[in-house]
Amino acid sequence: MNFFQIIEDKGWYFFTTLLSGWPATLTVAIGSLAFALVFGLIVALMRMSRWKLLRWPATAYVEFFRGTPALVQLFVIYFGFPDVGYQPSPFQAAILGLGLNGAAYLSEIYRAGIESIHRGQMEAALTLGMTPRRAMQYIVLPQALRTMLPPMTNFAIVLLKDTSIVFTVGVLEVMALARQLVTETLMSAPIYLMAGAMYLCVTIPMARVAARLERQRQAWH
Amino acid sequence: MLQLPEIYAENIHRWLPELLYYSLTTLKIGFFSFVLAVLFGVFFALCRTSRNRFLRGFAIGYIEIARGLPIVVVLYIVYFVPPQLFPGINWQWFSDFTAAVLGLGLHGGAILAEVFRSGIEALHKGQREAAISLGMTPAKAMTYIILPQAARIVLPPTGNYAIGLLKDTSLCTLIGVNEIMNGAKSIASSDYQPMAVFVLVAVIYFAMSYPLSLAVRYMERRLRVSG
Repeated sequence: MNFFQIIEDKGWYFFTTLLSGWPATLTVAIGSLAFALVFGLIVALMRMSRWKLLRWPATAYVEFFRGTPALVQLFVIYFGFPDVGYQPSPFQAAILGLGLNGAAYLSEIYRAGIESIHRGQMEAALTLGMTPRRAMQYIVLPQALRTMLPPMTNFAIVLLKDTSIVFTVGVLEVMALARQLVTETLMSAPIYLMAGAMYLCVTIPMARVAARLERQRQAWH
Repeated sequence: MLQLPEIYAENIHRWLPELLYYSLTTLKIGFFSFVLAVLFGVFFALCRTSRNRFLRGFAIGYIEIARGLPIVVVLYIVYFVPPQLFPGINWQWFSDFTAAVLGLGLHGGAILAEVFRSGIEALHKGQREAAISLGMTPAKAMTYIILPQAARIVLPPTGNYAIGLLKDTSLCTLIGVNEIMNGAKSIASSDYQPMAVFVLVAVIYFAMSYPLSLAVRYMERRLRVSG
C-alpha cells in the first residue's frame, strides 16, 4: 500500500493513539527527574563529605550506576526485586530505575557545580556564623545553580529520551503504544516515524532552551 | 530470602560462559558502530563547518534530528522502516545486527560530529591561515595542521561516547539482536532466576565499561590542554 494512502486513512488514528501515551511518558520523566534531583544532591553531598563512610558508598554507587546500562537496572528492579519479596508496579519500577540511574549522573553535575563556587564563599558564610548546612543552602547552591542549569536541562532531555525504554517493564507510554499499533496494523514505517517526530517536537525545543541557558551562563562570566 | 552466593555457586559455571559468549556480539556491535560513528562524525563535522550553506544546513538538520530522537526509536526506524518504504528491494541481507550497527552508528555520528566540530573550532583560525600562506592546500592544512591538534581536544569526549555506546548496545535486544541482554533474558526466564542473572549481567557490563572509563580519565589528565 502507498505510504501517503496509509497516512490519509490511518494517520489520525495513529496520531491520537500515540498522543495518549504522552501522559505516561511525562509521568515517568517528571517522576524520575524529581527523584534524581533529590537523590542526586544527597549523593553529591555524600561524595564531598569528609567521612570515608559516606564518601565510599556514594562513589561506588555513582561508578556502578554509570557503568551499567539503564535497561539492565530496570530489569533488575522489575524482574529481580520480586525475588527478594517486592513486586514494583511498572510505573514504580520505571521511576525508580531511571531515577536511580539519573541520580548518579546528576550527582556529578551537582558536584561540578558546587566545586565551581569559590571556597571563599563557604568560608565567608561560616565566618559569619552560618552552619555548614545553611551556608550550602543559602550561599553555595543558589550560585552553583547558574552553572548547573544548562547541564541539568541537557540531562532532562536525556531522561525524556530514556523513558522510551520503560515499555520493557510494562509502562504504556508512547513507544509501548507504537509497538501495539504496529502489531495491530503491521504498518511500522508511518507509526515509528510519527512517534519519532513526536519526540523531536519536545526534545528540540528543550535543546534550544539548554543552549540559550548555556550562552547566558557564559555571558555572566 | 534470596541467597545470591549460593545461587551463583550452583549456576555460574553454566551462566557465565553463555553470557560471555553473547557479550562477544555486544562488543562486535560496539566496535562496528563506533567505527561507523567516527566516519559519520567526521563527515558531518566537516559539513557543519563548511562554508557551503547547503552542506551546513544539511548537517545541522541531521545532527538536531539524530540527537533529539531516543535510540530505541532510531533502532526501530532503521530496522523496520526502509523495508516497508521500499518493498521492491531484496532486504534479505538486512539483518537485525546490521540494523543495530547502522542505527547506533547514525546516532553516534551526530554526537561525534558535535565533538569533532568543537575540536575544529577550538583551534585558532590563524593556524589554518598560516598553513595556507605557507603554500599548503586546504586539504593538507586540515590533515597535517588542524586534525592532529584537534585530536587532543576531541579524544576524551570521544572516549566518553564509546562508554555510552557500549551501554547503549543493550538496547539492540529490543530489535532482537542476540547480544548479552537477549541471552540474559532467555536464561532468566528458563532458570527462574531473574535477580541473579540480571545482577550478573550488570557486573559483566561494568567489567567492560569501567576499564574504558579509567582509560578516559587517564587520557583526560594526560591530554589536558593548558590555558
